[in-house]
Amino acid sequence: MLESLYTPFAALLFPGGLFALVLGLTLKGLDRRLAARLQARVGPPLAQPLYDLVKLAKKRTMLPDIANETLFLGAPLVGAVSMALAAALVPIAGFYTPDPMLGDLLVLLYLLTVPAVVLMIAGSASGSPFGAIGFSREMAMMLAYEGPLVLVVAAVAMRTGMGMGGVVSFSLTDIIAYQQNHGAFLFDPVMWPALLAFLAFYPANLGIIPFDIPEAETEVLEGPLLEYSGPALGLFKVMSALKAVVVLGLGVALFFPIAPAGVAGLLVQVAKLVILMLVGVTVVRVSCGRMRIDQAFRFFLKWPLALSVLSVAIVALV
Amino acid sequence: MTTLIQTFSDQARNMAARSPWIYRINAGSCNGCDVECATTALIPRYDVERLGCQYCGSPRHADIVLITGPLTARVKDAVMRVYAEVPEPKVTVAVGVCPISGGIFRDGYAVFAPIDQHIPVDVNVPGCPPRPQAIIEGIAQAIAIWRERL
Repeated sequence: MLESLYTPFAALLFPGGLFALVLGLTLKGLDRRLAARLQARVGPPLAQPLYDLVKLAKKRTMLPDIANETLFLGAPLVGAVSMALAAALVPIAGFYTPDPMLGDLLVLLYLLTVPAVVLMIAGSASGSPFGAIGFSREMAMMLAYEGPLVLVVAAVAMRTGMGMGGVVSFSLTDIIAYQQNHGAFLFDPVMWPALLAFLAFYPANLGIIPFDIPEAETEVLEGPLLEYSGPALGLFKVMSALKAVVVLGLGVALFFPIAPAGVAGLLVQVAKLVILMLVGVTVVRVSCGRMRIDQAFRFFLKWPLALSVLSVAIVALV
Repeated sequence: MTTLIQTFSDQARNMAARSPWIYRINAGSCNGCDVECATTALIPRYDVERLGCQYCGSPRHADIVLITGPLTARVKDAVMRVYAEVPEPKVTVAVGVCPISGGIFRDGYAVFAPIDQHIPVDVNVPGCPPRPQAIIEGIAQAIAIWRERL
């Protein structure tokens, strides 16, 4: 009985679903507040993302005449649900290990591509020309950053697998256990190229400046999100809050999962996510301008891809 | 039970009222008021994000509409169309003297001012252009009206 309840609980309440949503909204609130402070403004209250969600839930969803209704309204739902599920797959060192029944690192990789695909579908289903531009930009970005991500994950999996006497290990439990015994990959010079490639990947995946090209307000009026209003737009906000938790949590699990056991482990995880959000997202966001799509594409095919190929090669040879 | 639901919905309304998103429509303005609107949003001194406001690129995301300009014949159809795209509940703020009375363009053959003959206006912020503080006060009044409509 308890076993069968475990998976829905993990996906709906903790650590996926509700817990990840609250954490994600808090991270977004901290991000906006620090961004305002860095620009010498007062900034919105910490709970502002929550207020935005409540507001959007009270508004009306408008449907464009030429939109495909099913895809238009289904896309945000699929995106939010997939991210809630993905949040249940991210382990919290010392506190939570995902059930192998739910999936491993490979499933997580597939789920991580869902938000980008959903945005593409939303952009094209809305029938708006700006949505179509957003669609093509989102696709270009995805082609650019997915390669490095897969290679980074492969490098980590190979390092773990070879350290444990095998070839590769795509089990996050193994990856964390290995690092807890042998030291975090953050301090392992062999893994530094992979770390750098990951640091370039996650701003692109989270869609923040300098890589928020598909949703640029000033150029394509938020692209795929242009035609959305009310609860449907709220679901996209939920998706992006959950995605922040998933992507940052994946980074912590891959490179620095050192934490004490028990509740302290959970607190350490939250602290790591907050630091990663503020340093890796907010500071980058307020200190950069937006790249053009061709610049971003060339950047990803040059540096992160080279670094991740290099890291796979080093790991294979060392 | 009824009181509990009542408290809950009041709470939700109070939270929702703290997230007014702003959209600007230029109805043939000379750009003076638009610069002042941008000033209230963008520069640190008059940060409207502290009220939870956010300028949005799409009319479909908007709650409060700032209209500048005397509604010239050239842009009238486009303005009416964009205004209809803003989902209910919405509040309209007329910024500058042009949408309120027509200003120096009053009775001109190419303008349809005052704008409230065509679009329901809730708050007037007079001035040519109005000071940022006046625009912020107008936005604050619009938020109070918007809270009632939620």
